[in-house]
Amino acid sequence: MNKVEQAAVAHSADAGNVEDALDAGNYRQAVIDSESATAVAMQNTLLTPRFYTTDFDALDAIDVSPVREEWDRLIARMKSDPNKGHFKKNADWEQIDWDGMDPKLRAEFTDFLISSCTAEFSGCVLYKEMKRRGKNEDITTLFQLMARDEARHAGFINDALREAGIAVNLTFLTEKKKYTFFQPKFIFYATYLSEKIGYARYITIFRHLQKNPQHRFHPIFKWFEEWCNDEFGHGEAFALLMKTDPRLTRGINALWIKFFLTAVYSTMFVRDHQRPAFHQALGIDPDWFAQSVFTKTSEISRQVFPLTLDIDHPRWKKNLKALQRANVDLAEARKNGRLIKRLFASARAGLAFVALLTIPSIRNKVPERTRLEPVY
Amino acid sequence: MLFISRKTETAPCEVEVSHCFESLHAHVKFLNGAIIHPGDEVLIHGAPVLAPYGEVVRETRTATITRASKLEQVWTRLRGDFGFMELCEFSFSEEVSV
Repeated sequence: MNKVEQAAVAHSADAGNVEDALDAGNYRQAVIDSESATAVAMQNTLLTPRFYTTDFDALDAIDVSPVREEWDRLIARMKSDPNKGHFKKNADWEQIDWDGMDPKLRAEFTDFLISSCTAEFSGCVLYKEMKRRGKNEDITTLFQLMARDEARHAGFINDALREAGIAVNLTFLTEKKKYTFFQPKFIFYATYLSEKIGYARYITIFRHLQKNPQHRFHPIFKWFEEWCNDEFGHGEAFALLMKTDPRLTRGINALWIKFFLTAVYSTMFVRDHQRPAFHQALGIDPDWFAQSVFTKTSEISRQVFPLTLDIDHPRWKKNLKALQRANVDLAEARKNGRLIKRLFASARAGLAFVALLTIPSIRNKVPERTRLEPVY
Repeated sequence: MLFISRKTETAPCEVEVSHCFESLHAHVKFLNGAIIHPGDEVLIHGAPVLAPYGEVVRETRTATITRASKLEQVWTRLRGDFGFMELCEFSFSEEVSV
């Protein structure tokens, strides 16, 4: 009993929420596209989002009154949906010669698109679940708005993938899936950091390409500014959520935050360095990029975290590089089934991480008012 | 025995898959109000739900929920805290090279 939605608004990019977007008029055109697209053999990529559950009673118990004024203003802005209508192709979207692209760059860029699409998709699943299960209206309103943005971003990236001849496969729903569990505070730390680091990454690329347009090898980068403003706004919401309960950023939780920051920064460093063709095509030195993103993220995170990492410490860059080299060796040892080399590489990676983690952090006095604007 | 036994139950559910330009999403809603707890497994019956590009598909299906035992539930809760990196997003997969 398939049910197909009828056109309601002109274009789903102009719709105010997920439900309206599904009723939009570009649907018919999309069906035509779909029919013509089936003629072309598409490479199939199974999206594998993750499924989570959390302590929904704890989420319902959140009281945003201590940050009510800032909260209401943020929600009002998200409701006004400044990026409505932005995520659709216009004349700025140039056609790309995917077949003519250097194969290495093509593989790395495809990996970027698929990973980003999966991330947006997983975010959408998580936020929608929180919206559906929650009873606290402040919280459910926020998560519904964020689910809208993530689904919109995922659809936009999906479209870029389709041009590359890659169709995402959504059949995972009928596979057996297990729900893992995270405490709300871990969701807050991780998603706050993901959203803010995502903003810092995208805006750094966007500003770099404004100055060096010859390196813009795909039009999707032109959409990065508005895109990352959405990410920034989501991060603001998580910052306010953390502000509602001072215990979330004190005592043992401050140690968790340090651990999170170190793990996220170093993972980003390692993964970026594994994609040399992507960065070369953008004309970006991954070392410069990493430092630039860490600087921005640290500055922003001072709005809520009680500490920042000392990213200028002599041990910082040295051990990031050591971690990256150990990771490459580890992957090679795994591929060739060499146990001793594998153990050795694991130990080196572990030592490098400990060396990063034990760099003394810089204390931060969190400001009274939380809200920031995306100014980079 | 209750501590380690697993129970299964079936629940009617609505599956919604949107494969549109502006919204790519997929959600499952249990129509009888069933609640998923840590470690539970969900299997939706029938053929894969396929939404061609540009379409939204909504179907009513049956799901089997395999409830985690108390032991598994506790284990999933404990383990979840250490798997937090799963929640973080990076622009690239973990593969050393692609």
